[in-house]
Amino acid sequence: MIDYIWGLLQIDYIWGLLPALFSGLVGTLKIFFITLLLSLPLGILVAAGRVSKIKPLVSVLHLYIWIMRGTPLLLQIVFIFFGLPHVGITIERFLAILIAFVLNYAAYFAEIFRGGIESIDQGQYDAAKVLGFNSVQTFMRIILPQVVKIVFPSVANEIITLVKDTALVYIVGYGELLRAGRIATNRDASLVPLVVVAVFYLAITWILTKIFERIEKKFAYYQ
Amino acid sequence: MKKGLRSSIVLALILMLALFSLGGCGNSDVAGENNNENEVAEQTSDAYDQIVERGYIIMGLDDTFAPMGFRDEKNEIVGFDVDLAKEVFARLDLEVKFQPIDWTMKETELNSGNIDLIWNGYTITEERKQKVSFTKPYLKNRQIVITMADSDINTKADLAGKIVAIQNQSSAIDAVNTEPELVASFKGGEPVLFDTNNECFMDLEAGRSDAVVADEVLARYYIKLRGPENYKVLDEDFGEEDYGIGVRKTDVKLLEAVNNTLDEMREDGKYQEIYDKWFAE
Repeated sequence: MIDYIWGLLQIDYIWGLLPALFSGLVGTLKIFFITLLLSLPLGILVAAGRVSKIKPLVSVLHLYIWIMRGTPLLLQIVFIFFGLPHVGITIERFLAILIAFVLNYAAYFAEIFRGGIESIDQGQYDAAKVLGFNSVQTFMRIILPQVVKIVFPSVANEIITLVKDTALVYIVGYGELLRAGRIATNRDASLVPLVVVAVFYLAITWILTKIFERIEKKFAYYQ
Repeated sequence: MKKGLRSSIVLALILMLALFSLGGCGNSDVAGENNNENEVAEQTSDAYDQIVERGYIIMGLDDTFAPMGFRDEKNEIVGFDVDLAKEVFARLDLEVKFQPIDWTMKETELNSGNIDLIWNGYTITEERKQKVSFTKPYLKNRQIVITMADSDINTKADLAGKIVAIQNQSSAIDAVNTEPELVASFKGGEPVLFDTNNECFMDLEAGRSDAVVADEVLARYYIKLRGPENYKVLDEDFGEEDYGIGVRKTDVKLLEAVNNTLDEMREDGKYQEIYDKWFAE
């Protein structure tokens, strides 16, 4: 009976799938972490530029955000990897992926941060000025900490989207979790590998959700 | 406000122009205007000496593509084409590096120099000949029609009013399109396109599609895995065709070397040995 249930669950088969899926997972996590690490600070910088009073900078950033949000990420990867060599810029596969992801996600993060910055009351700036803060100090010490709290749920949402967007790199043939699953699905003519892949994604998202909950609790120090 | 709008429109137009000129480059002749020194130079001259010098060749393949080139349980790239390529280049004293690519991007990958060969159940078609040079055919293949065993479809004419599934960007589409009246008679007036043959088969099994048109080599592999008793292969097919290896049009030496080595392997029986390993009944 137990043997029957084990057979039904295809434990041996799934066990055999794991090494390939784990190596796919490594690809996914690599893109995920590096993108996150670079796009968050870049997003803050872009947001700071967007609310600045330097007109040319504001229009350039406007254009950048419009392009990044106005075209599919898949297309951006294709342009950076396949398009740029036509104008003499050849970028290695993984680097091209990172450039596309960082630029794209920084644009979304920038808009989230801009919303946060603009929601801060003018009184905060006035108070900082009275206390003798210069504008950089005001932004870093007074405005940004409040912004981070306000925008956190939206940022968390974007981060979870990022986990799943990593699958788009199939277009340049980069090995990641979903591709590993598709390889096994095609090889074995079975849907089981994709079910396992779904469980992997759910596990990542679950871990992230737990981390986000903790951070939100930490942020609740004024409540 | 107005001024801002105007400058935005101008910027948008400039951007589109830039994109179109990029596209223009892509459409122009492969040996086209790019004189960039290092990378793109590969497109304009024979790259074989360079390949020999660096000691390895980069073979592009879709690693989701069983049984020609795919990954086994240990995540190693295996398959008929893979074994064949390893043998060919071992004889040419070259190491083979396998670069997974997306199948829809194969010619772009080749002509931008990211890979040196497309070798992955790559059917020789007139359209593809415009973009790449093919070696001599190394494997015969038919485009067959597969239905469930209990289907009432017995001839190609029976496909009228039925839903036919085909893998996107595959030569099966070209084969089917040589009979436009028949395609027009499909339900919806065209085939339903899926990303992989596996998805075509799943749709067939789910009863949403009535028939699949696919490469015989691939189809037999799936049928074997999923139980031959469940399927029916029609006697009529959509024509015979050949698999070839695609190289850049400029790489004449490479083409010759691969052709000669394959001939050699046919003569000394190595080809047959690899063939039997993958396709013997």
